[in-house]
Amino acid sequence: MKRWISIFAALAALGLVVPSIIDVASAADKKYTVALIPGLTTDAFYITMHKGADAAAKVLGVTLVFQGAADFNPVTQVPVLNAIIGRKPDAILIAPTDKVQLVEPLKKAVDAGIPVLTVDTFIGDGHYQTGSGDADFPLSYIASDNILGGQIAARALAKAIGDKGKVYVSNVKPGISTTDQREQGFKDEMKKHPNISVLETQFNDDDANKAASQFQSVYARNPDLTGVFGANLFSAMGAANGVKQGGMNGKVKVVAFDAPTSIVGEIKSGNVDIAIAQHPAEIGYFGVVAAYAHLTGQSVPTLIGTGFTVIDKSNIDDPNVKRFIYSD
Amino acid sequence: MTTTEAVPNVSRQIRWLDFLAAFRAWLFLGILLVTFEIWAHAEYNSTFFLNPFNVKSIAIFTVTPLLLGLGQTFVIISGGIDLSVGFTMGLSAVVTAHVFNWGTQFGSPVLSLVLAVLTGLGIAVVPGVINGMLIADLRVPPFIGTLGMYGVARGVAFLLARGTTVPVQNALIGAIGNGEIAGFPNLVLLTVAILAMMHYILSQTRYGQHIYAIGGNVNAALRAGINVRNDTVVLYILSSLTAGCAGILYTAKFSAGAAQAGEPVLLDSIAAVVIGGASLFGGSGTVIGTVIGALIIAVIQYGLVFVNVEPFWQFVAVGVVIIISVLVDQIQKQVGKDGANG
Repeated sequence: MKRWISIFAALAALGLVVPSIIDVASAADKKYTVALIPGLTTDAFYITMHKGADAAAKVLGVTLVFQGAADFNPVTQVPVLNAIIGRKPDAILIAPTDKVQLVEPLKKAVDAGIPVLTVDTFIGDGHYQTGSGDADFPLSYIASDNILGGQIAARALAKAIGDKGKVYVSNVKPGISTTDQREQGFKDEMKKHPNISVLETQFNDDDANKAASQFQSVYARNPDLTGVFGANLFSAMGAANGVKQGGMNGKVKVVAFDAPTSIVGEIKSGNVDIAIAQHPAEIGYFGVVAAYAHLTGQSVPTLIGTGFTVIDKSNIDDPNVKRFIYSD
Repeated sequence: MTTTEAVPNVSRQIRWLDFLAAFRAWLFLGILLVTFEIWAHAEYNSTFFLNPFNVKSIAIFTVTPLLLGLGQTFVIISGGIDLSVGFTMGLSAVVTAHVFNWGTQFGSPVLSLVLAVLTGLGIAVVPGVINGMLIADLRVPPFIGTLGMYGVARGVAFLLARGTTVPVQNALIGAIGNGEIAGFPNLVLLTVAILAMMHYILSQTRYGQHIYAIGGNVNAALRAGINVRNDTVVLYILSSLTAGCAGILYTAKFSAGAAQAGEPVLLDSIAAVVIGGASLFGGSGTVIGTVIGALIIAVIQYGLVFVNVEPFWQFVAVGVVIIISVLVDQIQKQVGKDGANG
């Protein structure tokens, strides 16, 4: 790809390809259009990502298009992707809703000459431009390292419970790359803590009520339960409510992954002890920057990792921490 | 109903099947409780059902599917279906949270609570009225009309919530949602009150009889002078209202409204109605049946976690119970018919 660009530039410089001279001449004031397709539109995480992308788009003079489906599902995401390909933006940033099912649809974008970058989630194994496999064609993967996020959650929880007791993961459902990785990271890290045993994961279908009931059932079975890791918003919200309903605040520690606005109240009231905030605005910002860099002939790293912030009662009012709460 | 009493020489078998059909939901619940009790003893040497914590947790867990299933029971008895209740619940939850936050500016948490609850119920009436008019006046099939409303309520709820959860910045609503009176969780007490009201309407009022008549044979109901149009509109309003109650209680429980609050519960709530003995073809069903149906689903889901079975078996178990319920119903009807004819 890059080689072709330099050849084209060389040809243009030689004046052999007349139309591209005009293109290159106007490159400085050409307004690029970048499309951002989130995993789902109805989620504070992606809404915050959109804000970060918007900020970068304003600075760089890029037109940003934000379109997606209402739920996290390839069946609804692919038609949106196709409509975007039909619009022919200069680049596509997408959070693919399936590692496998989005490969062919995204190839069509590349065939149409539109470079693809993935944000938050990935296709294939997430290692791009390696020349191996058929899903290495996106230019870059911009996201938090969810395995690391799970490890950070495990460390924070282990510390909070004095390095002993029983814990479990409250998760959505299997097969989602990000939440699977959080669980994996959490369990890997907990292996280093021999006095903590990790019970079977409970899947709640993203239903906070079910997550609350599951917490109570696990607790009824294991009165020595000391901690829960809620791998996403509703998992954590449900577990926190289960703790509250059972009057176990303080006795059972709750770690929540993600930090929507509601987390502030939950931490202050002690229902949630620790929240692991990703930096979705950062993902959006660097996604647009990476796309722009590529469009203007710069090379782009194949992986851009964004950070985490651990939030608890002691730092929640700190403005440097507060800015990582996902806003709506 | 079969004519067991009217035909003197029906076999014993039919009477037995009648009994089984009438009490199958209770029977299931009993079997489940005994099974889990034995299982818990065998596996962990501890009690399942005699642990008050478990009973309380299951009761709270049942609230949402039960409230969604309550109005649904009425609709299903009339021969219809209401697919919009999940997102009507979400819409109501979001609106309640917003109004509560907005109302705090007046300085009285009680006033904002009252405003929030009234608006939450008020907004729930809207999809009900539209559903009712689509179905009663424009003859849209209930499945399609309420599926459309499912989408509309979903979109509006997410728009109002701006795609995220809406936290309530006030301790009062959380205290109500998670508090207890004499050991009974408030949510459960409120649900029992709504339940009693709906049971009374269905079993003791003329309106309740009309619903059975409409579901049994709509033409006969019309000839009998029943105002089918108005009764149908009221049906869908009732269904939306109980979904609205579920939404308000959700916001109280979690101190936050979420547009997707009811979505994962919709199918469980319909399953509860069917397990409880209602026929999807209309004409039969009771409020108590739906209560038992909802309890069965909750006990399965809670119990399997308690005895530490792999989570995916929950889906299998609920599915099997639905199939057996409907089978018992079918066999009973079949045998009953043959017996009466012979």
